[in-house]
This record gives sequence, C-alpha cells and structure tokens, in this order.
Amino acid sequence: MRNLTLIPTIAITAIALASPLGAAQKNGAIAQDFKLTDASGKTVQLSKFRGKNVVLEWHNPGCPFVQKHYESGNMQATQAAARKQGTIWLTINSGAKGKQGHMTGSKVKTLLKDQGSKPTHYLLDMKGLVGKAYAAKTTPHMYIINKSGKLVYQGGIDDKPTANKAHIAGARNHVTAALNELYSGKKISVASSRPYGCSVKYAS
Amino acid sequence: MKLDSPTLSLLLAFLFIAFAQPVQAQNKLGSTELNVPAKLAAESQQVQAGQSVTLAFVMEPKPTWHGYWENPGDAGIGMSFEWDLPAGVTAGKAQFPVPDTLLISSIMNYIYKGDYAVLVNLVISENTPLGSLPISVKSEWLACTDEICVPEQDELSITLQVVNPDAAVSLNNAFNDYRDAMPRPLGSQATFSSSNDIFRISIPLPANVDVDDPYFFIKEDGIVDYAAEQRVNRDGDRLIIETTARGDSLDKVTGILKIGNKMGFSLDAAKGDVTMTGTPIGGVDGGNFGGGGGQNNTSLLFLALGGAIVGGLLLNLMPCVFPILSLKAISLAKAGGDETIVRRDALAYTAGVVVVATVLGAILLGLRASGAAVGWAFQLQDPRIIFVLLALVTAIAFNLAGMFELPNISMGSKLTEKEGPAGSFWTGALAAFVATPCTGPFMAAALGATIVLPPIAALLIFAGLGVGLALPFLLIAFVPAIRKRLPKPGAWLDSFRKVMAIPMFLTAIGLIWLLGRQIGSDALSLTLIFMLAIALLLWWYGVGQLKGAARGLVTTGAIFVAIVGGIFALPNDEQMTVQQQAAAATETLPSEPFSETRLAELRAANQPVFAYFTADWCITCKANEAAAVQRQETADAFEAGNVAVLMGDWTRPDPVISKFLEKHGRAGVPLYLYYAPGQEPVILPQILTVGTLTDLVNTPIETASTL
Repeated sequence: MRNLTLIPTIAITAIALASPLGAAQKNGAIAQDFKLTDASGKTVQLSKFRGKNVVLEWHNPGCPFVQKHYESGNMQATQAAARKQGTIWLTINSGAKGKQGHMTGSKVKTLLKDQGSKPTHYLLDMKGLVGKAYAAKTTPHMYIINKSGKLVYQGGIDDKPTANKAHIAGARNHVTAALNELYSGKKISVASSRPYGCSVKYAS
Repeated sequence: MKLDSPTLSLLLAFLFIAFAQPVQAQNKLGSTELNVPAKLAAESQQVQAGQSVTLAFVMEPKPTWHGYWENPGDAGIGMSFEWDLPAGVTAGKAQFPVPDTLLISSIMNYIYKGDYAVLVNLVISENTPLGSLPISVKSEWLACTDEICVPEQDELSITLQVVNPDAAVSLNNAFNDYRDAMPRPLGSQATFSSSNDIFRISIPLPANVDVDDPYFFIKEDGIVDYAAEQRVNRDGDRLIIETTARGDSLDKVTGILKIGNKMGFSLDAAKGDVTMTGTPIGGVDGGNFGGGGGQNNTSLLFLALGGAIVGGLLLNLMPCVFPILSLKAISLAKAGGDETIVRRDALAYTAGVVVVATVLGAILLGLRASGAAVGWAFQLQDPRIIFVLLALVTAIAFNLAGMFELPNISMGSKLTEKEGPAGSFWTGALAAFVATPCTGPFMAAALGATIVLPPIAALLIFAGLGVGLALPFLLIAFVPAIRKRLPKPGAWLDSFRKVMAIPMFLTAIGLIWLLGRQIGSDALSLTLIFMLAIALLLWWYGVGQLKGAARGLVTTGAIFVAIVGGIFALPNDEQMTVQQQAAAATETLPSEPFSETRLAELRAANQPVFAYFTADWCITCKANEAAAVQRQETADAFEAGNVAVLMGDWTRPDPVISKFLEKHGRAGVPLYLYYAPGQEPVILPQILTVGTLTDLVNTPIETASTL
C-alpha cells in the first residue's frame, strides 16, 4: 500500500499557488543572499560584499517617483556620498519584460551615463525573484545591509511620499541618515519606514 | 464718455459672465489632460454662517485607470489637500468611499475604479459676512493603470455664497449617491490582536447581516501584510478576520470592513485577545487558488471542482479501488447486447459513488460546523472504522480469490443477470468508501477549498469527486466503442479475478499496518484473531455454497458478532497515545512534535524550520517520507543547515494541527512548509524529492537574467 502511490503529476498545476511575495525580511536578520547579472553581464553575489555596507535600491526609470529623485539629482547625490564612505550601491531592476521600466544591458549604460548615476552595479532581476525575496514593493524601495550581512534599514528614500521635487529639500533622507549613523557607530534612529512610489512591475 | 444702451448691456453681460464663472470649479493647470480628472462640487452653493457644507472631489478615472484610498496599500499614494480658505472657514478631514482591492503580482493596492467622490466638510463660522466665499484647494493624487502610474495634481476652486439664515438653499442630489458609497460608522468597537505574525480582528456584527466577500481595509500602515489572504469566520454576532501581521504594534487601529460592493462600515478597534472562533465563510481574496485580485468564489469553485473530478478519476488507479473497478467494468461490458441494462447499472454505480462521497463530505462539514477540527478521511482516525474497513477489504479479497461467492456483489460470470441496479449501487458505495484512504495529492487543494466555500458549493465538490471516480464506468456504458475494446469474458476472467485479490490483500495489509500503528502490536494480534474468525466463517460459507447448503443467515449473524467483538476488543485512547509515542523514535530524520509555540520559538531564534504534517493513513505522506524526508541525504543537509524539523502527526484527530492546516488552506495532509529565517513560509510541493528538500538549505537565490 505504501509504495503504490506516486501517480502522475499532471493537471491541477492550474491550482498551483501564484508565487507569493516573499516575506518582509526582518531588520537584524542576515539578508537573503542572491546572485544576479549586472548590466555588463557580470554575475554579482551579495554575500561577496561582506565587510562592506551595501545599499540596495529598487529602480524603474519609467516611474515618476524614481524620476523625482533622479531628475532632481537627489538619488545621485545620496549615492555619491554613500560610495565616498565606501558603501557598495546595488541598483536593482525587477521590471519584467514588457512592463514599464524593464531594462537591458545597453539601455542601462546609456541611462546611467545620461543621469550621472554611478551604482557599483546595476542588476537585472527580470524574473523578480530577488525583488520578491526582499518583498520590494515600490520604486524606489531602499535597503541597507551592514558589514556583517545583516539588514539594518528598509523603507523609503525619505519621509515625503510625493512625486513633487519641491518636497525633497525639506525631507529627511533616511538612507543618508542611516549610513551616517552606521559609519559613526551609532544606532540607526529610523530603521524602517514606509516605502513609497510605483509598484514594482513584477512578472505576474 | 457716453455709453449707449447696447454697449452697456454688453458690458454688463461680460461682467456677469466674469463673476458667475467661478461658481463652477476650474482647472487652472488645464494644459495636460488628466487620467483621473477631478471636479470640485458643493452640495449647495448657498451657505449660511454657523453651518457647514459638504464639498465633493468628483473623480472620474478614464477606463483602465484608478485612484487610491487614503491608505494605498503596498504601493501608490493617497490624496493630499492644500486648502486656501477665507477667514472663518475650516476644512474637515477628507472622507473616502469604500475602496476595492487590486492585487497585481502579489502587490496589494487599495483603489477606486470607476467614478468616485471624496467628501470634505467645510465649517463656516458664525460671523462670516454675507456675500461670496471663494474656496480653492491644491490637491495631488496618483493615477495608475495596472501597468503605470502618473502623479497628478490640480488647483480646484469654487465660489460659495453666504446667504441669510432664512434664505432657500438648494441641494445637489448627486451627493446622496456620494454618501451611499461612504462607509457607515459601525458604532461599536472592535477588538484586534497581533502576535506571532498573525493579525486578528473581531468585529461586532449581528448574525443576520449578510456579508459578501468581506474584507478589512486597515488605515494604519505597518500592521498587516496587505497582500496576505484574509480568512473570515462568523461566530454569532461577531465577524472575525485573520491575516498575516507585519509586526508594528499600536494600541488602536481603524479601518473599513467591506461587506459588499460599495458597502462597508468604518470602525476602530482596541487591542485585546482575539481567537479564531466560529465557522469559516467565503470571501477569500486572492487566496491559495488564484493570483489575481479579481478571483472570486465562483472561479475558485470551478477550479476546485475540476480538481476534484480529475482527482476522483485518478483514484481509480489506487490499489484499494482498482480491483473493484476492473472487474465491475468487465461485468458491465459483458452484459453485452443489452445497452439499457449496461447504462442502468453504470448510472446506479455512479449514484452509489456520488451519494457516499457527498454523505462523507456532509458529515465532514457537519462535524466541522459543530466545532470538531477534522479533515477529509477523518474516519480513518478512528481504529473502529479501520477495523470495519479491514473486515470488508479482507472479505472482498477472499471473495476475489474465490473462497466464496456473494449473491449480490458477485463479479462471477454466471451471476450477471441477477446483479440488478441495487448491486451496482452498493458496489459504487463500497468503491467510494474504500477509496478514502487513497485520497491522492490532487485532491488536497480541491478539498481544501471546501473549507472556504459555502456548504452547498462544498458539497458540490465532494459530489464532483464521486463523479470523477465513476467516470470510467459512465464512459464504458455510454461509449460503445470503448466497451467493444474491453476483452471478452472467458476462462481467463477467473484467473484475472484471483490476481486482483492481490492488490486487495495489499490494501488489507496496509490497513493492518495502520491499525498496528494506532493500537500497538499486542492489541493488533487480538484484532487479527477476530479477522481469522471472520475468514474461517467465510470459508465455511463458501464450502456450503459448493454443497448447495444455505448457510447465509448463520454466517451473516456470526460475522456480525465477530465484528462487534473485534470492535470491543480494541484498546482505549490512553493506550493508543503511549503506542504512538513509542513509534516516533526510530527515524532517520529526527523531529520534534509540532506546536505553534515551538515554531514561534525557533522562528524567534532565527533558525530555519522544516515543518511537515503527516498521518499514518495518508499514503502520499508515507511515500514522500520514504522517498524524500526520511533519507540520509536530507538528514545530512538539514543537519548542516541547522534546520529544525517539526512533525505534526494527524493520524489521530488533533485540533491544533487541523487549525494549522486550515490556516494554510488545506483540509488534509500532507503539508510541507519551509521557514527560512525571517521569511514567510514556503509551501513545498505535495510530491517531494530529496533535491527539493536539500535545495532548501543554503541556496542563494539565483536567476539567469539574460541581457
């Protein structure tokens, strides 16, 4: 009776679960490791950056909220300051093929040049696996991982959830603040915040 | 300069137009066309000092576009207002209508499709002078399609007239519709709890209020996982909703309970203890059976029904059913020429199968409604029923082996004519009953749906299982081409019948093993002595048949006594628990017994957890355990990855496990879950391989992004 069971696995794949958005990862936990290909075809693995602080930035060039921070130069400035401190900056695009903001290698290079953006790597996650593992919901959605690989910040770029560039000046930049606290050995005062922006355009 | 009369009237007309115009709202940015255009309207243009007036932002999204509720969900932005008001006028909080859910790729949006209105009350202070009152507001909102978003803004204005307290005020009737779409305050306070990743809210709502697809829209962020399924129970005058918590804690939450299209209640909830009591009702939003937000119970029903029929069909291949099926099929085909009899028998058989499947389903639903936490094949958790089933299966096996003939349920060649529709009906009933231990992996999802569907729909799924099981017969009976292909009966049939006794005996051995696990080998020996007595009685009866002696009545009576005696000889519950614990020791992959507390502890300690739910009567579970779980490779990989293993044994009824399964949308075992530290559990496939399990440990997510 025990051995007569494995009947063919046809059908009912229709009932199979739609891949759920993975869990919000908790601050203080080791950040989920991943391997992604960057715009120049190089494979990048998160855990190889142990010993350095890492920023993950979810990106969609077509999203007005992303445009708010790039057209104003805010994101580039945040990025430049972070990299000057020795931070690894990984911009991740989880836009599925055919969806808004989906990028390919050559397009990425042009875009980065035009915008003066200099991430350590621009990573392509068109299947959305990494995005879903991090429960990245919006563009931008920011994460900071410390030198020992633990997640220490997740949330929005700042505390003014609008698409209006005029609101950048008065906003608290959570990423810059958290990095400064991290490098000066202080406790991160705002370790999570509500991300705001367009929804990540995952493959459905 | 002298003005002649026509010039004057023209000038007056211009002036009139110039002043009259601001009464209508104006779009001062006007240049770009908005996707969700807004208009500002007042319930009345005449207002009285000391009173208030309601304004409406009438939003008219273009087709495929939507706007957002004040809490937009996972993405999106609510609406903002920057008022420019004359002295003495104050604007209240914006009131939003009951929103809809829109789930896109697991990202939940709380939105409005189609026209909607956001209402704001303006209070005009006592000493506001008569005359015009210009109101303007700068508003920003987000307009989205399923694909893209555009932030939009507009400066809207309207000019009101302050009139005498006794002046007539005309009201805009459209506001009645706007108000209808608003949530009504519930009045009584709800209670919520948030712990161990589970958020529950218990909302006072009279038992006689009809609800359709209920959903709780929470206003505060960070409390719940918006995209997680909401499970709804009704317990008397309370409606209890359970979903995944996100971790932030507050003493009070507010939100809208939606109970129908544009129908809902606004409420606030205080922190307290909430347990998931009562009975589940429909209203799973984007649950286990669909990814899209538009998924409703009807499509869930069809999916589940399809699953049940296919599952039932596949059951025919199971060792407990196949012998009955194959011989019955041949006997049907044998009726040969007489189409009417064949069809009548096939329909009777189908009726037997469907009735038993539905009745078992109804008992299951009834037990569950009365509070017992049970699942499909619940009857196999009771050793008495296993014993009866064992007696039955053994008798069938001896019958197939040729030890005796039954006047009614015979598959012999000469008895076909005597076998009326009643015989076929009972054969069908028997097939459905003995099929239950073989409920395969395909039915788990379909049967899980019976938890969340209304009872009638749930019964339909059980009936669908029966239809699937009977399908081969219906095909044989109604498609002559298939019947012609069946082998002609002959001497070989007798041998075939005897061979078919083997799977039946295997089924009996399986049941003996299962019974042994439940009652221990001492008690099992006693039970087997009763089985021997039954077998001897059947033999004696068979010898009588050969001699032409009528021993039916005596045999029936004696077997009845033996079965009743066997049931009484079974041990009681206490002895069985001891037995179960003794059985748990010798596993390749050591495990701890499952409990929610232990799971929470391990999760809190950031240890990866593999939790599996099994039952000794679940052959799929046992096959998976033999093939994948209880394997040295798995044990080694799990040890290396420091994976804690929790095992929930559902062989005997266990409400804790039943509830846990239910929470994952399952009516039965197996269920395999993997909890990576700090992450949502992953539900593993129902057919496991060693690779599936070892891959769980320490594998970074990899993608093969092509450029």
